[in-house]
Amino acid sequence: MSSANRTTEVVVCLKWVFQADEPSDARFAGMSPADHAALELALQWATHIGGQVTAITVGPAQADAVLREALACGATRAVRIDTANGVSSADVASAIASVARHAAWVWCGDYSIDNGSGSVPGYLAAALQASQALGVLGVTFESGSIVATRRVDGGRREVLDVQAPAVISVEGATARLRRASLTAMRAAASAPIEVVAPSIVMRTSEHIAHTYRPRARALASPTGAEALDRVRSLTAAGTSSAAHEVETLEPADAAARIVQTLREWGYL
Amino acid sequence: MNENVNENVNDCDVIVVGGGPAGSCAAIVAARAGLSVVLLERGPFPGSKNMYGGVVYPRILDELIPNWWEEAPIQRWVTRRSTMLLTDTQALTVDFRTEAWGKAPYNGATAYRPDFDHWLASHAEAAGAQLLTSTTVTGLLRDDKGVVVGVTTDRPDGDLRARVVIACDGVNSFLAKQAGLYTHTDVKHFTLGVKETLALPKEVIDERFGVRGREGVDIEIIGCTGGVNGGGFVYTNLDTVAVGVVLKIAKLAGQALRPEQIIATLKAHPAIAPLIEGGEVKEYSAHVIPEAGLAMMPKMISDGMLVAGDAAALCLAAGIWLEGVNFAMASGMYAGEAAVEAVRAGDVSAQGLRGYQRRLSDTFVLQDHRKLRRAPELVLSDRVQHLYPQMVANVVERMFRIDNPQPKPGLRRILKQERKRAGIRRRDLIRDGLTGFRSYG
Repeated sequence: MSSANRTTEVVVCLKWVFQADEPSDARFAGMSPADHAALELALQWATHIGGQVTAITVGPAQADAVLREALACGATRAVRIDTANGVSSADVASAIASVARHAAWVWCGDYSIDNGSGSVPGYLAAALQASQALGVLGVTFESGSIVATRRVDGGRREVLDVQAPAVISVEGATARLRRASLTAMRAAASAPIEVVAPSIVMRTSEHIAHTYRPRARALASPTGAEALDRVRSLTAAGTSSAAHEVETLEPADAAARIVQTLREWGYL
Repeated sequence: MNENVNENVNDCDVIVVGGGPAGSCAAIVAARAGLSVVLLERGPFPGSKNMYGGVVYPRILDELIPNWWEEAPIQRWVTRRSTMLLTDTQALTVDFRTEAWGKAPYNGATAYRPDFDHWLASHAEAAGAQLLTSTTVTGLLRDDKGVVVGVTTDRPDGDLRARVVIACDGVNSFLAKQAGLYTHTDVKHFTLGVKETLALPKEVIDERFGVRGREGVDIEIIGCTGGVNGGGFVYTNLDTVAVGVVLKIAKLAGQALRPEQIIATLKAHPAIAPLIEGGEVKEYSAHVIPEAGLAMMPKMISDGMLVAGDAAALCLAAGIWLEGVNFAMASGMYAGEAAVEAVRAGDVSAQGLRGYQRRLSDTFVLQDHRKLRRAPELVLSDRVQHLYPQMVANVVERMFRIDNPQPKPGLRRILKQERKRAGIRRRDLIRDGLTGFRSYG
């Protein structure tokens, strides 16, 4: 990938997953609906900007099935990062980023159907230092940019003007995957798939999965002459339970302030 | 459809339509012979759309997959085979079991078709056939002389051309019909098979059916199909029991009954209910069956095309013998062989493909059907279906009933009385007996 075509480099990330009720049966394995939608939009967007689509998956050899589906539908290049199933989201994202580091547009499914948390696209945007539009419900193609409608809390919608480089994760209902032509299907069955070793040691999510707990907070010895006062200062009993501060700051300062407060409260 | 594009360009040597047992066997044979083969399947994987009602007899696979029993995904080996005559309140069972059928080379097996067909198709792929799934064949491509040169599919850019098309597209074969080969399509030739698959723990099934390990049971039933001509079946999988009925479609349509009501009646029968009690319904499925045997078979060969399996009505429904998958596998295999022969000889006309007919005629495929050609009609006749079961059950009930102080009546007298009570004429009984004897003898 040369830097000349960087703005037209489109990547779609696809995950080969088992159905929830058929957890080890490859006959029922494949892409989730969200990945289907991502593939379709990646293909449409590539046509729109005159680019080509590279499909990337992370998984074992059986995961080639989703890449062949992508090739049959119109992707021009397929890369599988060879790992076992069940790698942590952060490591999946780093591995994809090492292959897709020149990509201008990265499309992902919102989350996979096997307990997916939708975290890979976020990690990926961070690793690629790209902007992100996650949980997208609908897109409009402009010349050189994408207007994405995003689901936010409380039934609200957020409309984003997405510029390259960007990671866009879409919900399953955003697009219906086209039907591959018979000729393309036959060609895809024997098309080459680039298999690359992961650039980092991949940790499975089992190794790092645990319930989130705030770390222990170091407290100074309580002060106060009476035992009651010392207990009160330790437990904050009698003070307001809703700790909040209102400050008006520039975004960068606000982010720094939030991080600092979370540190003080022991959450980071 | 039927347009002629580029006569000399073939995408492959052989197109096999349908990834069932017939199609996979045809593809295995043709691909192993070095031909380029495309196997088209409309479902997401072979077997996903398929259904059957009892036992697979895979010995024909000896020729294709040596020691197939070591790898075939079977549920249980049928070591116990029962034929059951039911009236509303009575049951007469002829029950046979043998250890021999539980050992290699085995006899019959129960299997889940999505497993079995998928496995068979994997051998076709291993042999080099290209399997394309989720692709429905919509018609035939023919040249200007009417010779079949390929198929059209429901995919974009979906025409596929080959020297030979083998249609294994199942009962109601649209391809055989389109080719003008299938004329006996009257509804009277077809039955509807419906079944429920009920989950029960393996130990419970073992205990209720008196089997151990991988041993299994197949029960074929006459009677108790709610006045609709047909039959019933119960067979064991590892941890499910299948119970179902096969119903003559015309008669079913005439009754104000739905097939699931007839299954419910069968399930409630005192001879069946204890076997399946507590079973949770995991699946309900239904499929049309070509039931009439030789009387309905289409022409199986035309220029550039062969028909095999259910598409060729190769389903033996002869009461005590109920087979289909073995006929499908055999006919598929022979179609594959004939296609190889024809392609190698450079003559794929009906004449060049006639090796298929010879193979069918020389083997059990057509010989069994010829021998049993009268059996399907006899088995589904009103007398066999509705009158004889009641008569036989009453005779047996009186035979074993001890009416002391009355002495035992003579068997001939009981038989005569019960025949009259059932309203069966003596000459009909003799005629049916002779038909049965000629067919089965």
